[in-house]
Amino acid sequence: MRNGAEILKLGTLTLVWWCIIFGAVWAACYIVGILIPMALTSYESDAARMTAETCRALTPILSVLVFIPINAMFMVLFERRGLAIFTVRLGPNRVGPDGYLQTAADAVKLLFKEDITPRGADAFMFTLAPIVFFAPSIFGAMPLLAAVTNYHELFQIANLPTGIFFILAASSVPVVGIVMGGWASNNKYSLVGGLRSAAQAISYEIPLVLSLVTVCLMAGTLDVVQIAKQQSGGILNWNIFGGGALRGLDQAISLKFSSSAPALQELSKSSFEQVLKSVYLEPTAQALGLGAGQEGLAGIIAAFAVVLLIGSIWIAYGLYMTGACAEINRIPFDLPEAESELVSGYNTEYSGIKFAIFFLAEFTNLFIVASIAAVMFFGGGDCPVPAWLGTALGGPQIASVINQALTPLIEIKLVDPPTLFATIWVILKVYSIVFFAVLIRGTLPRFRIDQLMDFGWKRLIPLSLIVFVLVVYAREFVNVHVGT
Amino acid sequence: MDQFEMLKAWAETNVETTMFYFLATVAIPLAYGVILDKTIIRSGFILIGVFGSICGFFLLLQAQFLALAQLMIYAVGITLVIVIALMLTNPRMEKSQLSNATPANQLGAFMVAVGLFMTIYLSVRPENWTLSSEPLDTNNVEVLGRALTTDYSLPFEFASVLLLAALIGSVMLAKAEKPSKPGEDDYEYTVVEDGPIAGDPRQDREPAVSKR
Repeated sequence: MRNGAEILKLGTLTLVWWCIIFGAVWAACYIVGILIPMALTSYESDAARMTAETCRALTPILSVLVFIPINAMFMVLFERRGLAIFTVRLGPNRVGPDGYLQTAADAVKLLFKEDITPRGADAFMFTLAPIVFFAPSIFGAMPLLAAVTNYHELFQIANLPTGIFFILAASSVPVVGIVMGGWASNNKYSLVGGLRSAAQAISYEIPLVLSLVTVCLMAGTLDVVQIAKQQSGGILNWNIFGGGALRGLDQAISLKFSSSAPALQELSKSSFEQVLKSVYLEPTAQALGLGAGQEGLAGIIAAFAVVLLIGSIWIAYGLYMTGACAEINRIPFDLPEAESELVSGYNTEYSGIKFAIFFLAEFTNLFIVASIAAVMFFGGGDCPVPAWLGTALGGPQIASVINQALTPLIEIKLVDPPTLFATIWVILKVYSIVFFAVLIRGTLPRFRIDQLMDFGWKRLIPLSLIVFVLVVYAREFVNVHVGT
Repeated sequence: MDQFEMLKAWAETNVETTMFYFLATVAIPLAYGVILDKTIIRSGFILIGVFGSICGFFLLLQAQFLALAQLMIYAVGITLVIVIALMLTNPRMEKSQLSNATPANQLGAFMVAVGLFMTIYLSVRPENWTLSSEPLDTNNVEVLGRALTTDYSLPFEFASVLLLAALIGSVMLAKAEKPSKPGEDDYEYTVVEDGPIAGDPRQDREPAVSKR
């Protein structure tokens, strides 16, 4: 275990930076969303009321603006240290305590660099490109905010009935920025980078959108808050496990092995077979119109449909991650900025603050992609432990102890327990997916452009269509999201 | 009625109109820019701006789904147009020769423009539409989806047939290559042969013979 010490250091670094990031966001939200309006209620003038309302309405966008730069700094450092571990190096460990401030120093350096516009470049487009690249990632993330904070009242304003479609529409805009920047730079490498990016983004957007459409089909809504809510109640309700297709199975199995489990009050009178029958046989028999004597047939079809549904969703998740990696130009799909072929692709000519914006947007996009995956597939802010098991393990007692400890903070509205727990789970899930992306970056080589196109059009798009049709049919025979 | 309520009432009645005029003042100059800009690629990017402001109009009409579809399809679609323009023209900001239009051409273009405007105006003028004061369904995506798959499924299918025809047509155009004679064209271009791509490892695997 030569890497053990390094992994431990990475873990400490992550925790410290999480405290910095989310402490800052928390403080900003609290001051603007709650403290200022509360202070203003003592004045009974119209101006005070107006200011309070404006402050509340601005909280979501402010939280995003505070979050993005600090988070990008952390993610760059996280990625560099993570890659160092994968390639058995040390990584940045000189600036600040154990390299904690490396990326902060980098950011300061980038801001003080001279901002150069190359000769012959289209100056207006050259300036516009980073903005077009970055702005959609800010407003595209807004509906997600409502979903990951457990629909906290300050963030309800950010929610939209067309949630996931809004996010996808916003995420399709940045490619315009890349092409624009590549063309305006007056540089062959930049131009080729921009063209590659356009081809890649258009090809891989189709499997990406189709995989998310599959999930929306299962959920029956486009609203991300609804999708997150439907999946509450433990790991078996998450979309990645068929959105409740395995509901009740965990309880039934634990009933089989220990019939005296005290927490299983609601199921104490029923047996393993009865649970199976009520969860699987009845909906299938109902869907097929089978009578009482054909339970064996219904059972086989039910089992087949459940396996098909869960398998399809796993494939859809794989398709989503592949398409998302291609959309945000990460290895193995980083052809638009392939250093060894195109110098640095579309951002070759950029320097100073404009390059910083490109860089910031790239890491923000990675975070957004991971949060979409967390909300759509992994239940958003839901605790993975099923509710009945949590009760059996003393969850309510622990929660009440925490609540009591936090009572003074809850009273001044600094902490809202449901939001707090939801956010902690979301943070864990999202950064796990980010870590997975870093792992892929450390593992896979880059695609060649013709391989990339073949893979996208001949493999991923047909596969995503097949998965879509399979889910349409499998969903009919399985109870998906019944409880909600 | 205090100041706050008054402001709220004003906003409820006037914000939509104000936003409409704001979007219109953005959209119309941009639309002129698409025609008047000498660089074809710039026109393409300006066109994205035009579609962006049209997306804003749809949002004002509370057609969120249409607005987002507009953004999603045109942002990507126009990017494709730009890429094709880059491939077919000289990408280095060369001014295209627009001044070779004869007066006859200009007159013809003007006639077509007037005819088109009249046709569109006559078809969309407000007299033919029944006005409704019913509140919109909050979940109008669902209404739209139901309408497209039940009442209007035939037009919907026909739209996809149109797309298929366009697809086949483009394949046919791309396939129909005439063998060009050397010296026939005004400008030169290099023909890339079908074959292994440069950098293909199979090609690089030549026996390493050292010269001594």
